[in-house]
Amino acid sequence: MPTFTYGDLSIEVDEDGFMQEPEQWNEEVAKALATTEGVDELTDEHWKVVNYLREYYLQFGVAPMIRKLCKETGFNLKKIYELFPSGPAKGACKVAGLPKPTGCV
Amino acid sequence: MENAPRPASREELNRFLTEHEGVDPRRLVPLPFPYEDWEDAPIPELSEDKRSRIEVGPDGVAAAQIKVPADDEERDRRVAAFLEGLAKLFTKENNWTFLQPLMLSMENCVKCQTCAEACPIYTGSGRMEAYRPTFRAEVLRKIVNRYLKPGGRILPGLRGNDVELSWDVLVSLAELSYRCTLCRRCAQTCPVGVDNALITREIRKLFSQELGIAMPELHETGTIKQLTVGSSTGLNPAGLADIMEFAEEDIQEKTGLDITMPFDVEGAEYLVMHNAGEFLSWPENLQAFAIILELAGVSWTLSSELVGYDSVNYGLFYDDVQYSRIALKHYEVARKLGVRKMMVGECGHAHKALMPIADRLIPEQLRVRTESCLVVLEDIVVNEKILLDPSRNDFPVTLHDPCNITRSMGIVEPQRKILRKIAPRFREMEPHGVHNYCCGGGSGFAICQSMNFPDWRTRVSGRLKFRQILEAFSDCIEPETPKYVCAPCSNCKGQMRDLLNYYEAWDRCGILYGGLVELIVNAMVDVREGFVEWEMH
Repeated sequence: MPTFTYGDLSIEVDEDGFMQEPEQWNEEVAKALATTEGVDELTDEHWKVVNYLREYYLQFGVAPMIRKLCKETGFNLKKIYELFPSGPAKGACKVAGLPKPTGCV
Repeated sequence: MENAPRPASREELNRFLTEHEGVDPRRLVPLPFPYEDWEDAPIPELSEDKRSRIEVGPDGVAAAQIKVPADDEERDRRVAAFLEGLAKLFTKENNWTFLQPLMLSMENCVKCQTCAEACPIYTGSGRMEAYRPTFRAEVLRKIVNRYLKPGGRILPGLRGNDVELSWDVLVSLAELSYRCTLCRRCAQTCPVGVDNALITREIRKLFSQELGIAMPELHETGTIKQLTVGSSTGLNPAGLADIMEFAEEDIQEKTGLDITMPFDVEGAEYLVMHNAGEFLSWPENLQAFAIILELAGVSWTLSSELVGYDSVNYGLFYDDVQYSRIALKHYEVARKLGVRKMMVGECGHAHKALMPIADRLIPEQLRVRTESCLVVLEDIVVNEKILLDPSRNDFPVTLHDPCNITRSMGIVEPQRKILRKIAPRFREMEPHGVHNYCCGGGSGFAICQSMNFPDWRTRVSGRLKFRQILEAFSDCIEPETPKYVCAPCSNCKGQMRDLLNYYEAWDRCGILYGGLVELIVNAMVDVREGFVEWEMH
């Protein structure tokens, strides 16, 4: 299993860089994972998306539907792609420490 | 004829099994206007680090994520396990499900290569030998002849049984079984009725059931997850309830209608089975279903039971045991609710899994009558059980035929009768109907988002489909005219999204995609205008 290291951080990730143990997530981990997504600095807007994803995941065990993410954060999909260039599923979810989305999504 | 098909020679076959040759982007089928100057970057190679853990196929692509064995001993053990499994594949006791069609296809291929030109992956790739429909079948045949048939090991080279089994050959065979979307265009054109897609599927099955090798999106995070959590998407009943609450609000806001999502209604006429991917990625699809069924006065329900709210059955693509577990669970949920029938939503493989395959594999007393949503929708639209204003769909529409619904089941006309009624600018792709091309995401490919496989499926397996879409809209290709590819299948929609994004088709040509029910609702008089939202999603 690959390990992602950043400074003193060392976390287990899957082959696509998603956290294997989402419970190990914290804000430092998010900052580190963001660098793999071409996001050098997490702004308030980034955090708004990340925190919403995180809270939803902790409550329901799955990422929210994209439509709901947009509605709750007030960002349209284009804006989310601007914040996370590889998109809500591959980019934002990874930074929020969610496992990789699965199924026909 | 230029590039005429020719049988795989012995040298070629062995070369492709042992040497690696990547897809050459310059050989890919060219695309029409406005893509004459489109250049595809080569499919990225996996990093050294990944290669130290994951095996790749003869084309450098990884789908099955086969772990690199620790040592030669493990390699030998795996080869022995394969041979043992191969012998089982050809016995009735161990393969009562598909032994007959497998034997017919193994024994009757005359290698005329008619199938090669029918294969969208072989032709789309620029005729790469390893993607020829007969290629993997021929490798398997040579292995069977040499290692299973009496006397097969005597002078095998002289008798054409010249594939020597090794771990590397197995890796190539396993990976190549994931370079075919099981679309069965080859089987349709074969003059003898040989089904190379079935052989491919049986190869996947052998690797899964005997060696634990399968595309992880199909197995670990597919059927295993579905059977434990309730859905391959990871959606549990609490998440489902949240999504449905949101759907009701969304319907109210968008359409002005008050609709309650019916759950676990005992004795309903239909249990509607959606692919749970719709809930998360295309919620407008399940909303549209609810609007149509409610306004048409249909008695229907959804299930909140584990597995009952996700119609997918990826076992269909790779594993009989996993297939059966899920199919039985689906029927159990429907029987418990006491519904008259199950209605399969816009999901191609769920159609095939719950109808033609289940009809043959699952005992009758365990089954429940199942119907395609397309047939129910045809009745509602054609017999005007809802009020429609087709002028609301005054934009070009073309139809993608999901292979499992159309070629495998012969459901061709219902979706067309609907479109002729609601979409005045509907036009066909060529070829279409039972002769369609796969979207390139079939057999679970669309859900594989790992490694360099997505790069392969947008460039290679989806190439001909994208060309067809451009051709269907050639008279209105300018981006100012919004155009709609109607794809009534979740898996196909996932692939459409990735294709349109990769080829930047929304920005360059104004091409969007979506399901069929969304178009119907978009034309409904009782619904506020503008149900279809023209935004890439």
